[in-house]
Amino acid sequence: MTTAATDISLAELIKARCPGAVTGAGEFRGETTLTTTPENLHRLLSTLKTDLGFNYLADIAGADYPGRSKRFEVNYQVSSIPANRSVRVKVSVGEDEPLPTATDVWKTANWHEREIFDLFGVRFSGHPDLRRILCPDFWTGHPLRKDFPLDGEEVAFTHNQDSIKPQEAIWKKGLGKAEYALEQGTADVGEETTMVINMGPQHPSTHGVLRLVLQLDGETVLRTIPHIGYLHTGIEKTAENLTWQQAVVVTDRMDYLSPPTNNLAYALAVEKLMGIEIPERAQDIRVLIAELTRLASHLIALGTHAMELGAMSVFFYCWRDRELILDIMDFLSGVRMMTSFINIGGVRADLPDGFHKKVQDFLDVFPASVDEYDGLLTNNRIWEKRTLGVSVITPEEALDYALSGPNIRGSGIKWDLRKDRPYLTYPKYSFDVPVGKTGDVYDRYLVRLEEMRQSREICVQALKQISPRGEFRTADRKISPPPKEELERNMEALIHHFLLYTRGFQPPEGEVYSAIESARGELGIYLVSDGSNKPYRMHVRAPSFVSLQILPALCEGGLVADVIAAIGSLDPVMGEVDR
Amino acid sequence: MNVTLDQLVGHGIILTSVEDVLQWGRKSAIWPMIFGLACCAIEMMGMVAPRFDVARFGAEVFRGTPRQSDLIIIAGRLSVKMAPVLRRLYEQMPEPKWVLAMGACASCGGVFNNYAIVQGADKVVPVDIYVPGCPPSPDAVIFGLMELQKKIQAQRPLSQPVA
Repeated sequence: MTTAATDISLAELIKARCPGAVTGAGEFRGETTLTTTPENLHRLLSTLKTDLGFNYLADIAGADYPGRSKRFEVNYQVSSIPANRSVRVKVSVGEDEPLPTATDVWKTANWHEREIFDLFGVRFSGHPDLRRILCPDFWTGHPLRKDFPLDGEEVAFTHNQDSIKPQEAIWKKGLGKAEYALEQGTADVGEETTMVINMGPQHPSTHGVLRLVLQLDGETVLRTIPHIGYLHTGIEKTAENLTWQQAVVVTDRMDYLSPPTNNLAYALAVEKLMGIEIPERAQDIRVLIAELTRLASHLIALGTHAMELGAMSVFFYCWRDRELILDIMDFLSGVRMMTSFINIGGVRADLPDGFHKKVQDFLDVFPASVDEYDGLLTNNRIWEKRTLGVSVITPEEALDYALSGPNIRGSGIKWDLRKDRPYLTYPKYSFDVPVGKTGDVYDRYLVRLEEMRQSREICVQALKQISPRGEFRTADRKISPPPKEELERNMEALIHHFLLYTRGFQPPEGEVYSAIESARGELGIYLVSDGSNKPYRMHVRAPSFVSLQILPALCEGGLVADVIAAIGSLDPVMGEVDR
Repeated sequence: MNVTLDQLVGHGIILTSVEDVLQWGRKSAIWPMIFGLACCAIEMMGMVAPRFDVARFGAEVFRGTPRQSDLIIIAGRLSVKMAPVLRRLYEQMPEPKWVLAMGACASCGGVFNNYAIVQGADKVVPVDIYVPGCPPSPDAVIFGLMELQKKIQAQRPLSQPVA
């Protein structure tokens, strides 16, 4: 991690390299924020990339402040991967004022800018394809604006049942328009030999409700147009209407293959915002849960990917092992998937009796299972033929599209936030970060397989660290509720309890971006607090959203059958893509 | 020939109605559509996987096309963007067809009472069975499926027109 001192000099360095572009520099919780104006934005971003080596645009987040003269704020979270430092560029923009696009600097900016256009209505001049991305085409308004209501439907009680207005059936506007996007973007290619086919959103091999419009010449894919948003859930807006602690529950439902990791990312971001430390034992428990979750997630990724390429038995074996992990989660929290077990200030409860044995039993049988998958697939000739040399991502492309997790490591870039920007107690544990050589589907498969072995190693070490009884959340009574014994004897504890459950806590004003290494890569949370008991803005940098963007580049020129291999190897989760 | 009913049964012959046999066949070979929306879809896959093994109830043949399916399991939250698609898929299914709303979101919007989510899939298609949970565990879905089987068995397609 970079220290505060070097970051200040970094701001000075950027000011010197790009004179006149930086109008202000701030520092909060170790993050540097540079302010600029729309006119200077593009110059500043280009300088950052070409002169200063900031080759990785992690995220772009919008925010709406209706009281200001320029109501929107757009935040670019830029990193330099070789130098491992990052900076946030902030620009304020008015309602009818366009911003210059950053797509010519980093390709990954494309979908981020479309998202901000869709949800806030900020226009980007020079953007190649500025249309809605998450909301349907028949939608009106920009839902993440503060003056856009949360909507939904009121709950009926006796006192209000007559006055309830049913939710407006906006979806009916889309009836009969299922083909509306078929022509979109393909109209300019009028060759008679080509065919346009629609794949999804209901398709067995698109990992959820992803929709692709493919233009084919025989078996060759000429163009691929992904359409996402079929699972747009408004999680960010919902979180902004819940208290900080309540919002943990909605984060579960983003990346539903590894829910506790989402809790972790959010909890760490709020803890960073509030500047609190949690007990070491709680951190170790979080590491253990996060790694078990990574195993469960990779098992599904492997199982479904293999099934889509024809190896059905791998799917069944993977599910057999995943059930063992779900059993542990069930034992721990009472729920198989959506545990919300990791929350702000630590974890929700202490470990149950017999937890260690249950986890140890699983860790004992797991290596044989990984070897079994290895044996079934790695030297399997059919598997090799379907994956070797297919959908190659070069390291340059991987950085340009800001891939993360196994996808960027498959291309040979050793970038793992657990090692490079350590959080929790990860530095205590020894593990390797596997990388691929060529960046094809096979390499991404090998990376995931090896990551499973490494995650198991971390679990084994973590389990030894964790004592069966001890602190599991912070003792700060402003954040975590007092235990029952204290409540019965202490008036102050009672007041804390009452305030926590009626109003929640109020973090200081400020903004943070905090990222963790989830099973799919850099899961970042951008939070803005206005000092109240609810997040003013919660934005998620979803790794699948970012990595899915590379799909057209992978598919075009290849064969239809390889589209399935490419999707599976990127391992997207639509819940996280669409949020 | 004066044969009593008891004697017939003793010879391995049973008496029933055409409708009963028809519905018995339908309930015992439900073909669900592969239609996963969100988190619940993972538990739906878990239902097919070895531990819960929905094949025991004759519903393991998941079909990729609505034209071969007779059950939609709405597994997850239904967004405003997806709702027209669901309606279309439902209309493409041949009769007789059934709908199972899996989980809180498909039943009533769940925790997402907001602009993006349709507050209950029953606003878009008629729902036969609601399974609570977030997400429901695979055994809960199997219970829902068994309830649906009871419902199918009780239906009288020949004496009454199918709704």
